[in-house]
Amino acid sequence: MSNNRIVTSPSERVQALSASFKDVLSLGQRYVALLDQLAATDRAADLLAATTKLAKMDLANAFVDFPPHYRANDYYLIFMDRLLKMHGDTAIKVSENEISHQFEATADSIGEEAIFKFEIDSRGEAAFTEQNQHEPLFYLSLADRLMQFNNRALVNYFIVYALQHHTDLELRDAVKPLIAFAKYLQEDLDFTIDLGILATANDRRFMLDKPDLALTVIDRLFVATADQDYMLMNLPHNNGAELLLDHDTKLDIAFDPDDYSQEWAFMVKDPDEQISFFDVLLHYDLVRKWYLDDRDALAVRTDHMVLASDDDQLLDEPVSPVEDLPAEEPSTDEPADDQEERAEDDQEDK
Amino acid sequence: MASVETNSGALDVSQVINQQIITKIKYLRQFNDAISNHRDREIYQLLDNQRYAKEIEHREQQPNDKGVMNLVDDLADQLSNYLSVNLIKYLGKTYPFFYYEEYQMGHYRIYFGNWWDRRQFGELDVLNVRFSFDQTEYDKLQTAFELSRDNKRYNSERINKISSENDRLQDLIDHQQEREEKRNELQEQLKDVSSRSGIWESSRNKESRQEIVDQLQKLEEQEKEARTAVQTIKDNERVVLSLSKENTILSYEQKSIIDTFGSFEDFELANRNLYANYLASLNGENGKQVDDDEQ
Repeated sequence: MSNNRIVTSPSERVQALSASFKDVLSLGQRYVALLDQLAATDRAADLLAATTKLAKMDLANAFVDFPPHYRANDYYLIFMDRLLKMHGDTAIKVSENEISHQFEATADSIGEEAIFKFEIDSRGEAAFTEQNQHEPLFYLSLADRLMQFNNRALVNYFIVYALQHHTDLELRDAVKPLIAFAKYLQEDLDFTIDLGILATANDRRFMLDKPDLALTVIDRLFVATADQDYMLMNLPHNNGAELLLDHDTKLDIAFDPDDYSQEWAFMVKDPDEQISFFDVLLHYDLVRKWYLDDRDALAVRTDHMVLASDDDQLLDEPVSPVEDLPAEEPSTDEPADDQEERAEDDQEDK
Repeated sequence: MASVETNSGALDVSQVINQQIITKIKYLRQFNDAISNHRDREIYQLLDNQRYAKEIEHREQQPNDKGVMNLVDDLADQLSNYLSVNLIKYLGKTYPFFYYEEYQMGHYRIYFGNWWDRRQFGELDVLNVRFSFDQTEYDKLQTAFELSRDNKRYNSERINKISSENDRLQDLIDHQQEREEKRNELQEQLKDVSSRSGIWESSRNKESRQEIVDQLQKLEEQEKEARTAVQTIKDNERVVLSLSKENTILSYEQKSIIDTFGSFEDFELANRNLYANYLASLNGENGKQVDDDEQ
């Protein structure tokens, strides 16, 4: 139909109305077809296609009022749920809230008080966010096929907050399906994924946000080991320190001796490449306390993958690249900022 | 008479000289042979026969032949370098926590451990198969072992003292507000009391005035200290960190010695017997390292 033409005759007006209905009815047909596809397909690619289209679909219409429907973030969660189920993974429960009619996710191992939802920003980037602490644990962009964990949020939520209420094993189990989800995205749908501090490869370096590290910070870890069974060794090229942990696990805080820039980074090495830096923080009180006490100096950087964007301005802005800088979403940085300030105060008070 | 004596003397002397030269040549040949075949044990015997006889063969009173001993004196550094190879290999197993740095030919610094921070602990005397520990550092370790029997650490007392000093300073900083209020209050009181002073001032009034002045003085001193307290606390923290580091180093060292020897006394015993134990580990006649073939 055309809005530019001045419609005069009654029959023309009726035809115009009818045309509008036809448009919206075919939209409705596409809509229900996509809903069926989302709910029933057993192919990951079709699941992704349905989710992407549904998330973008605009059902607002002047002529036809669609009954209550789901929103983009609900489709993302259904997508996640269905992809996990396709692999028989049931550790994440997704269900519809009876009052708000929004979908919510919970993780079996940490109970139902921790509720996760996707929050979608203006660029179409969805953040899997815990609703109580508002920590965006990972970002998902279906259009760009990217999935990336947020190191800062992982530390804030699991290491700082959730560990007060749960054991390290429960939290490890809560994180497992998230890692599995990332792997399915990568394997089934060719996503680019970044596990961040959840990565277990031995050669993975986690660069510090602040490349210059005062050696007194490492001294403090050394001093903390005095009462423990773990020893902090000097690396052969005097390029940092290596903490010897259980089962031949080693945590390095070091710079690459061959690299002129001498940027400090964490590395976790274990014989089976099963242990991540996150696991070390979760499991070892010694490391966790040291890291959180000096988080300002030790924070791990998030090398945020740049999304293809129509808005050129976005490229010039730092996209919350750092674990410890306030993230883009205003709601996410409050608890962490308090944490940081307290840490600084403590230092000065000592 | 004199000439006869000289003649017969000359004959004796040349005999003596030749005899001595033969002895020296024999010694040097033996030495040469031992070096060529890396018979370290024999080299040690040639270097100090007296000690070898006493500690290995358990024969007392076997004097060294001064005539041959000093033949290789000027080769001490090279010999030390040569003999260090097997010795350090042996020490790597028996004293796994010591590390050596050859800072000049044949001279070895000992480092205790390869941990984040470690101490230089003296030198390795290769030719005499002994550690010459830095006495100051060694005494620290010994003291640390003694203190550990009472669950104490080498620097704990100093650390506690500085820490409680920091607590006191922090308290000064924290109570700045209260001091300010107190000061205002006292100044009010002083004004009040001062108005009643003068020539007819009662001794009691005088006393309480003095008391207020004293209290104000004390507050002023505290205020002055509080102003520099932040810096002092930081400086103290630096001192505490370095003292704690020393404690940590000592605790690592104690751990290592206990893991390897069981006790400090057994460590000292092993040091005393190092020469005998090392040479015994060198295989009999050919004097090579027992496990040379394995490697």
